[in-house]
This record gives sequence, C-alpha cells and structure tokens, in this order.
Amino acid sequence: MIRRIHMEIALLATCALLLCSGCTQQPVQAAAEGGLPGVKIPVGPIPGPQMEFKMPTNPYEENSVAMEEGRRLFVWYNCYGCHGGHAGGGMGPSLRGPVWIYGGDPAHVFASIAEGRGKGMPSWGTKIPQDQIWKLVAYIETLGTPQEPDAPHVAPDPQVKEKK
Amino acid sequence: MTERIEGVVLTLICTLVLASYGRAQKINGGGNTNVPGQLPSIHLVSPEPDGQWTLPAGDYANTRYSPLNQINTQNVKNLKMVGSMSTGIARGHEGQPLVVNGTMYVITPFPNNLIALDLSKPGFPMKWKYEPHPDPRSQGVACCDVVNRGASYADGKIVYATLDNHIVAVDANTGKEVWRTLVGDIHIGETTTGAPLIVRNIVITGDAGGELGVRGKVVGLDLKTGKEIWRAYSTGPDKDVLIGPDFKPFYPKDQGKDLGVTTWPPDGWKLGGGTVWGWISYDPETDLIFYGTGNPGVWNPDMRPGDNKWGITIFARKPETGEAKWAFQVVPHDAWDYDEIMENIAVDMDWHGKMRKLLIHPGRSGFVFVLDRETGELLSAEKFQPVNWAKAYDLKTGMPEVDPAKVTHTGVIAREVCPSSTGGKEFVPSALSPRTGLLYIPAHNTCMDHEGIDANYIAGTPYLGSSTTMYPGPGGYQGELVAWDVANAKQVWGVKDPDLPVYSGVLATGGDVVFYGTMEGWFRALDAHTGAILWQMKLGSGIVGDPITFKGPDGQQYVAVYSGVGGWMGAAAQPSISLADPYAALGITGAMKKIKQLTAPGGTLYVFGL
Ligand code: HEC
Repeated sequence: MIRRIHMEIALLATCALLLCSGCTQQPVQAAAEGGLPGVKIPVGPIPGPQMEFKMPTNPYEENSVAMEEGRRLFVWYNCYGCHGGHAGGGMGPSLRGPVWIYGGDPAHVFASIAEGRGKGMPSWGTKIPQDQIWKLVAYIETLGTPQEPDAPHVAPDPQVKEKK
Repeated sequence: MTERIEGVVLTLICTLVLASYGRAQKINGGGNTNVPGQLPSIHLVSPEPDGQWTLPAGDYANTRYSPLNQINTQNVKNLKMVGSMSTGIARGHEGQPLVVNGTMYVITPFPNNLIALDLSKPGFPMKWKYEPHPDPRSQGVACCDVVNRGASYADGKIVYATLDNHIVAVDANTGKEVWRTLVGDIHIGETTTGAPLIVRNIVITGDAGGELGVRGKVVGLDLKTGKEIWRAYSTGPDKDVLIGPDFKPFYPKDQGKDLGVTTWPPDGWKLGGGTVWGWISYDPETDLIFYGTGNPGVWNPDMRPGDNKWGITIFARKPETGEAKWAFQVVPHDAWDYDEIMENIAVDMDWHGKMRKLLIHPGRSGFVFVLDRETGELLSAEKFQPVNWAKAYDLKTGMPEVDPAKVTHTGVIAREVCPSSTGGKEFVPSALSPRTGLLYIPAHNTCMDHEGIDANYIAGTPYLGSSTTMYPGPGGYQGELVAWDVANAKQVWGVKDPDLPVYSGVLATGGDVVFYGTMEGWFRALDAHTGAILWQMKLGSGIVGDPITFKGPDGQQYVAVYSGVGGWMGAAAQPSISLADPYAALGITGAMKKIKQLTAPGGTLYVFGL
C-alpha cells in the first residue's frame, strides 16, 4: 500500500516535470498570486534542467530614506538584540556578510525575515507589513558599505587613549 | 611567550613580597591563611569528593576542592595527556563532566548529548550516547551561545537540562531516559543552561533568558518521577516567590510584603528577569540551598523605576519546599546587567576571631561578598577588580554607595563604567582551598560605555533597551586568576592574561595545585600558595569549562577539562560574529579584538595524568 503511494507520487512528480518545461516563471507567479510574494523562492541549488528564476526585487533598492527607515525598524523590532547593535551578530548570525546561511540577495533576505529560519530566527511575516520588511532588507543590504546609515565605528579604547 | 610567563612570575613574586608585608599589619582573624604546612581554621560543611565527581562543583558547598593529592606541586610538571575525545560540536563547552563508578559522563552544548566513557579501558572508549534532540529553535533565543553547565548524579540517574527547557533523567548504566519534564517555554524566550543540583529526593534547577523579558524562576522536581513539586519565581507576589512566615531577611530594605510587585512599575515584574542560570549550592548543616538571580528585565533602568526585586538577589531556601528563608538584594535597581548568579560557597571559617557560617560570593559586580549564611547579613564586600559603579558597601544597610555618573538613562551614555556587564567575573566558578584559605577567582577586567534606549516587548525576542560597547579595563590586562585571602578580604597574588578574560572554572586540590584554563587555550597548574605556573599545555581551543579531578579505576589521580571556546564573550571566536560591529553580541566585541587570532572554536574533552 505504502509502496504504491510512493510510486504514484514519483509518477506525478515526473509528469509535473515534463509538463512544466515551459513554465520557468511559475514559482514567482505563484508567489504573486497567493501567499506572500517573494517568499516562495528556492534556498538550495536547483536540480534537473536549468530553470531561470526571477527573484523579486526590492522596491526600495537604492532608496536612502528607506535605508534609514530600515535601520530604525531594525532596532524597533528587536532585531538588534539578536543580531547585534549594528548587525554584527550575537544570538543570531552577523548580517554584515560576506557569509550568508540562506542567501544574501534581497529576495532571500526578505524570505529569511518573513518566514523565519530553523535555528531560531522568528517568522515575522504575520507581524511586520511587507513594505517594512523590504525597508529592513534595504538596510541590511547597506551593511558595511558607504551607504550604511548610522554605521558603527570601532573607536579606540578609552584606556588606551589614557596611556598615551 | 616564555618572556611573558617569566614576566608574570616576576610580577607574582613582587605581589607576594608586597602581600606578605600587608599580612604583617593585618588586624583581623584567619592568621593561618596561605602558610605552607599550616592549615587555616576552615571547616568544610559538605563531604569532599571521594575520588568521584558526582555534583557540578564536586561537593554541595561549591568549594571545587578535591582532597586528592597524588598530583602535587612536585610532580605536576610531569602531567601528560592520557585521553581526548571530540564532541563534534564547535560551540562553547562550559561546565564539567561527571565521574561515577568508573564512568565519565560528558554533557555537550546544544544538542545536549550525554556521552558515557569507560574509564577502565585505555583511550576511554564510549559506552553509549544519549541524544535528547532539543528543539533547534531554542538556539535562537539562547542569549550567550548554546551552552550547558553540566549535570548532577544521584540514585542511579544523571540529571541535566536541555536548551529547550527539558529536565532529563538518564539511567547512568544503560543510557535510557527515565523521565523528562518540561519546565519552560522557548516561545517567550526561556532557555535552560544551568546545572541542576540534587538534594535528597529533589532536583533543583533554574532558567535563563534575562535578556528576553523572561520571569526568572527555580523549580524543584521529584528525583524519582520528574514531577514538579515546587516553583519559586524571582518576581511577583510573595506567594509566587514562596515567601511565607519563615522569611526573615536581615536588612530592612529587603523586608515588606509583595516587594516583588511593589518595587516595579505596574506589571513590570511580569517581564522582570531575575533568571537563575548559575550555580546552586547546599549546606547540609543549615539545610538550605543558596543561589543568586540575574538582571531585572529590560536593561534600560529608566523603564523600571524601583528596586526591582528580586532581581540580582541571593536567596536561601528550603530544598524540600522551596520556601525562602532569607534574601539579600545585592544590587537594587540594576543599571549594569550585574547578574549575581555566581557560585555561593558555604564554609565555616575563622572570621575576626570567631568561627562563623559563611557564604562567599565573588560577584559579577566586582566585589567579593561574604555573608552570614544563617541570616543573610553582609559581613564584607571588597573589590577584586577595577570597580567604579559603586564606591563601597555599607554593611549596616547592605546598600552599595552608587556613583550616579555611572548610571545610564534613556539617551544618556554612562562612560567608562567598570566592570562592564560581563563583570569582574562571569558565572565561571571559583575554587576555595581549605589548605590555603584562599579563594581562586577567575576574573575579568573589562569596562563599558552603556546607553539606555527605548525597548519594545515582543515575546520571544530580546527585551533589552540598551546600546553597549565594552573594552579592556585599566592596567593593561584583561583577565586574571586572583588568589583572594577571604579572612583578610584582599588579593594575595594574581596571574594576569594580557588579551583575554579568564573564562574557565577553577579547581583546587589536596596536592596544593590549582588548575584553570585561559581563553587562548592554555591549561595551567599553579602552586596554590605562590601562584607560580608549574605546568601548562596549550589545548585545541580556548577553555571556558571547569576542570575536575578524580581517581580512575586504576587508582591513579586524573584531571579532566573541556576545551571549546564560547559563551557570551567567547562566542566572539565564532565566524557568525563580526568584530566590525562593536555593539555585536551585546557589546563584547570591543573587548575581544584578538580572540579570532588567538583561538578558534572547537569541542574536546581532555584527560591528564602522571
Ligand atoms: C530571537 C532572536 C532573533 C531575532 C529577534 C531576529 N533574528 Fe534574525 N536570525 C536569528 C537566528 C538564530 C538566525 C539563524 C537561523 C538559522 O541559522 O537557521 C537568524 C537569521 C536571520 C537572517 C538570515 C541570515 C543568513 O545568513 O542567511 C536574516 C536576514 C535575519 N535573521 C534578519 C533579521 C531581522 C531583519 C530581524 C528583525 C525583524 C531579525 N532577524 C530578528 C535570530 C533572530
């Protein structure tokens, strides 16, 4: 019985693959139709014939007002408590790059925030409005770049100053 | 490197010479402190470890002293590594293994596996491994690395906590789970990292999450079944704190009804912190358990006017019922995150010419507190590292004399506050040798700039309201193993570490050897009287665990310790923390600038013998 079900699933999957050769855009469209747009995107590599995914783009890219606003939201939603005052890490990993566990392009960062991640990243999709998530993404994308709002500077230790 | 050690030894000799001058002029008791060949008048109140290590600190009283003396100041130079085992987990290895009936029990950081090793065979092969599979999401709410501080053994069971708040009891012979009890909720930010203590039939355990608005508590479980018998919160009305007619705090400041509610703004106590993630000790003579509570909830003090009881408080309770006997709030209205969850060492000792029942608490706030453990009276509070948040303690009122310039407010940066939140020492436990009368304190010298900011409570996320940066304190060093003369309340010698805090526990032995590790990875044996480094070996990763000693099935003495850098400060060695952000990991990165160069994450148990 169980084996039969497995076989049926395998068959279905193969059919789906065959039928789907002309629908490379579908995952993104599906996301736009139902659920949260921009979150139904792959994290891992994609097996099988190459498919081109169009990642959703950030409406606030290069928008400096949105970056500033993202910085404010990063503190407001307590992201800073887990990821460090300026996202250098703590309970959650550093978001200052270059290493990303779940992908560092805007769509993946959006998905990490909206859906949450397995080792304790809360799922914020039902708590934070979408446009605010994009502003957070806009801020995160600036970390360590000249555009970073309210960037931290590593000050010399006061005690070291004293000694001179 | 050798040069540096020589320097340290030289400093030591100088300190010693100076210290002996100091002693000549002393006025109070403890005349035999640190005199080789003479024992100070100290009475140990709980049985010493008998060659096994069945409790987190070896004994109930938390002395971390073992009478074993086969390894001594003469032969410790011949110490060799006789076994090592990787846990496969490159996170902070705090705490210590247990040794019971020829078996060693290793408790790992998340995922909190329990590994039994056969000490009767060469290489100490694994007997079995128990895997509790805690909820992976608990990792995200663990404030300061996914650590675990160990287990207790009694009645054929190894009992410890998983990060996701299960207390588990495992059959020490078979590795089969006997019971499992859920005592907290990760969705409100609660985790459990401390080691339970078992007194008779009661398993006593606290919680963690003071950075996430968790309401701290201690629970007592039935050792046979795991059923919860009592629960004592650190905040809220007296009935929740288990404060009843027998509660007799020494100072008027700690007396009154429902102080756990009235010293808070309305409902503030519900998110009030006071978690209990450190060590619990027990004194069979007074039949009391002792523990300290952590910071009051939300770091920004302006958001919680009042004393915020019972944050940062030492409690004495009855083990069977949890009823409070006394409490001493060490820091009212905390503005620094000075959790006082450190070890409370119970000994009877000559105190100003009279034997007294003492409770010794080397604190995060930078003072060594000595209390009368029957009454909670503060007998002495002296600084053991640079401290400027308070000038001194008034022994009549039990109150610190706080420097208002070192108190942060919303939008106001209090600068150069010493010690930083990470303290004059952290949870890492001291050892007390009844042969020298010295307390060996693993100390830090770190200061901070600390700013209160508005905080927004969202369950399961940090409730912090602070912006903090830390850096090395004055004097050009960051860590020190301090030998503290308890009777005379002063330092006798110290071994300094220039670049990193001392973040490992300490072990004192009957062979007059003191063992501890550095965050860089040096595992050291010191002469308990002089502090001379008699032996050291560089281990694979920085040491934040606590050394233990035991007698193997072959009758030989061994010493064991975990190597695996981590914990709040040590987590800066992890690639997931960027030193480019001085506010990362609650502000510690500025004090840990060299850590990635000096060590790297790892996770190994090492065993040494002659
Ligand atoms: C309770 C702690 C916590 C809070 C609050 C939190 N995070 Fe996270 N975050 C984590 C953890 C832990 C991870 C790693 C999860 C994993 O590895 O599965 C993470 C992962 C992430 C990632 C993916 C990083 C990568 O390398 O792929 C992003 C992006 C992120 N968080 C952004 C945010 C933002 C923005 C906020 C505030 C809205 C936030 N986080 C709040 C704990 C937290």
